[in-house]
Amino acid sequence: MNKLKLNYTSLSFLPILVCIPLGYQLINNIHFGGFKLFQDFLISAFNPKIDNEIIITVIKRLNETILIGFFSWLVSIIFGAIFGIISSNIFYKIFNIPNFFYLIIRFFLTIIRSIHEVVWGILLMQIYGINFSIGIIAICIPYIAVNSKVFAEQLETIDYKSFESINQINAPKFSSLLTLIWNPIINTFKNFGLYRLECSIRSTVILGLFGIGGIGTSIFLSFQTLNFRELWTYLWSLAILIILSGLIFKKIKFNTTNKILSIFFISVFFITILFSFSYFLYFIFNNNFENFNSVSSLFKSSSDLGLFDFLKLILETIILSLLSTGIAISLPPLVIGIFNKNTSKIFIKIFAFLLRLIPTPVILLTLLTFNNPSVSLAALTLGLHNAGITSKLLFTNLDSQDKRNYIAMKSLGISKKTSWLLGLFSQQAKSYLAYCAYRSDIIIRETAIVGVIGSVGLGWQLQESLSSFAWQEVTLVLIAYSSIAIVGELINGKIKNSLT
Amino acid sequence: MNNNTVLELENISYKYKNDLILNKVNLQINSGEKIALLGKSGSGKTTLISILNGTIKPTQGEVKLFNKSFEELDRKQKSKITTIWQDLRLIEDLSAEQNVNCGLLAENNFYFAFKNLLNISSFKKAHKYMKLCRLHTSIYDKKIRKLSGGQKQRVAIARSLIQESNILLADEPFNNLDPKLITTIKNLLLENVYKNNTKKSPKTALVALHRLDLLNDFDKVIGIRDGKIFFNIKRNNLKKIHLEEIF
Repeated sequence: MNKLKLNYTSLSFLPILVCIPLGYQLINNIHFGGFKLFQDFLISAFNPKIDNEIIITVIKRLNETILIGFFSWLVSIIFGAIFGIISSNIFYKIFNIPNFFYLIIRFFLTIIRSIHEVVWGILLMQIYGINFSIGIIAICIPYIAVNSKVFAEQLETIDYKSFESINQINAPKFSSLLTLIWNPIINTFKNFGLYRLECSIRSTVILGLFGIGGIGTSIFLSFQTLNFRELWTYLWSLAILIILSGLIFKKIKFNTTNKILSIFFISVFFITILFSFSYFLYFIFNNNFENFNSVSSLFKSSSDLGLFDFLKLILETIILSLLSTGIAISLPPLVIGIFNKNTSKIFIKIFAFLLRLIPTPVILLTLLTFNNPSVSLAALTLGLHNAGITSKLLFTNLDSQDKRNYIAMKSLGISKKTSWLLGLFSQQAKSYLAYCAYRSDIIIRETAIVGVIGSVGLGWQLQESLSSFAWQEVTLVLIAYSSIAIVGELINGKIKNSLT
Repeated sequence: MNNNTVLELENISYKYKNDLILNKVNLQINSGEKIALLGKSGSGKTTLISILNGTIKPTQGEVKLFNKSFEELDRKQKSKITTIWQDLRLIEDLSAEQNVNCGLLAENNFYFAFKNLLNISSFKKAHKYMKLCRLHTSIYDKKIRKLSGGQKQRVAIARSLIQESNILLADEPFNNLDPKLITTIKNLLLENVYKNNTKKSPKTALVALHRLDLLNDFDKVIGIRDGKIFFNIKRNNLKKIHLEEIF
């Protein structure tokens, strides 16, 4: 009997096996009470509400979303770059600082980014109450840490020999640092800036669902009142905002040889830093702690959470992450491979865009109209949303790939699907899996959102504990979350390294 | 050691993993000397140069510049050595003129580095040395990755020359150059190109070479094999037997 040989291509499809237990539980949990609602939801997509009143609301809400999204993006990308520099190897080599500090900073940033912005948002809301600035701060905290990782990874690619060469010139250390990191920083900003802006807007929307403001709040309110036509007006306007921001970003040329533009970008850089610091100080000194009187309350509060229940929640969160990751990895290549026609591709792209556009809590609430809350449903939601994101990357890579192998295979009479699989996808499988490893870090963090809405895992417990001001439980849940995310990041890091 | 010695290696050994790359090397380089360093690939030439310029620390022994241990030297003193690397070590994403200007980082402040990256600093001096290296004006603002091997080689040489250092260490600097350019570059490297400047010190050079036809302009020849110096003699005394020992 032939041995089963696993390669990058087969590894990309294998995780789809998660659909077996997932499908089983979903079929068992199906109920027919909400099919009509689901049908209304779908039909409303083609018939959104358009009148003067809603247009005014959309403009007002989008303004808030843009403000929160843009400022949190600007602050997080600038501070992300700064933290990226001080958490990269090159910084420590140039200044001869012991590696111990490098490890401490990296560990600190890993903990910060392991907690999702929604969790930060809910936590800060409990402490400071609902506040416009909470949205910006809640996004900025994990995003600075996430962006710093992206920048640091790019800085790690600096050729060690260039460093040696600059070092040998014996230039002042800051001059050496700036000369070496300048281009990797600019290139990272060019390559990831738009994506991070999109992420900021999405996070603003999700935080809006939890009451921070912006279009997310309107989406949630219209869903609660089952006003799907209104809901779709908000969703389509959000789609327009994301597409427009992408187009504007692409139009901006980050030409560092243009003196005026350079001075403008540098001014923005320093003004943002100054503004952030002054705003941070203002926020700290002008806000009353509404519910969180002192650190001592952390120790006074008791916890009713039993060890068994707690372990069960941790296990649920891990299972949720694994199932979602399985869907996010395998669904895009499977669907694109099966429906490999030009017209089908357009539909898949639209569907993937919708999956990215519709916030996960809304997808979950929609699915809850005909399925009981369960780990599988939460996993399906998270998996589908992330499949929308991984499919975008896969499409981009496949579209830009050299198609000669594919054409050659087809000319040999090999079927279109097989030619696609062997002639196109197989060449992308390795980099696609490496990206999915990075994506699964984010999926672990995102289990918090679906957990809160879908009564699953630690996310749900966090919401419960926060509502009852059980700070000890909150701390426990956050430590558990961080631990899962850190372990996940370590495993994914190993996988990524073996793939790149 | 005499008063004229600028660089000195005392009993230098260098181990990389389990391989002994340099084995108890002793060497004195006097001011104004032009030394050719000969040896097969992998004989330890590049390592010797890296130790001489302080890029790598020897496993054993001491390196002295102007009779001071390398550790005791400040940044300005260390910058008296300039190096042309075999693999050039240019910054690929910067333009040719920006790379050449990097040679001036040691004598300028942070603001200069900033202006250089924004392309708003003066490139007058960079252009002067690029012109001396026969680089055409059309490539001045081109990124390194877009240049040919020979052009990159000359950018690296211009970056080294702009430092106007007293001591030159060069590892195969004539690679990728045609015969006419080799003559030009050899004159640039070995003659005092800074004679119009205030710096009066004679130029000291240690150049690792493969080509024997270029030896005429050197005062001394050092032969290295398996990490050991086999001979250190005046060029006029170089015999066929010496070369057979190291090649």
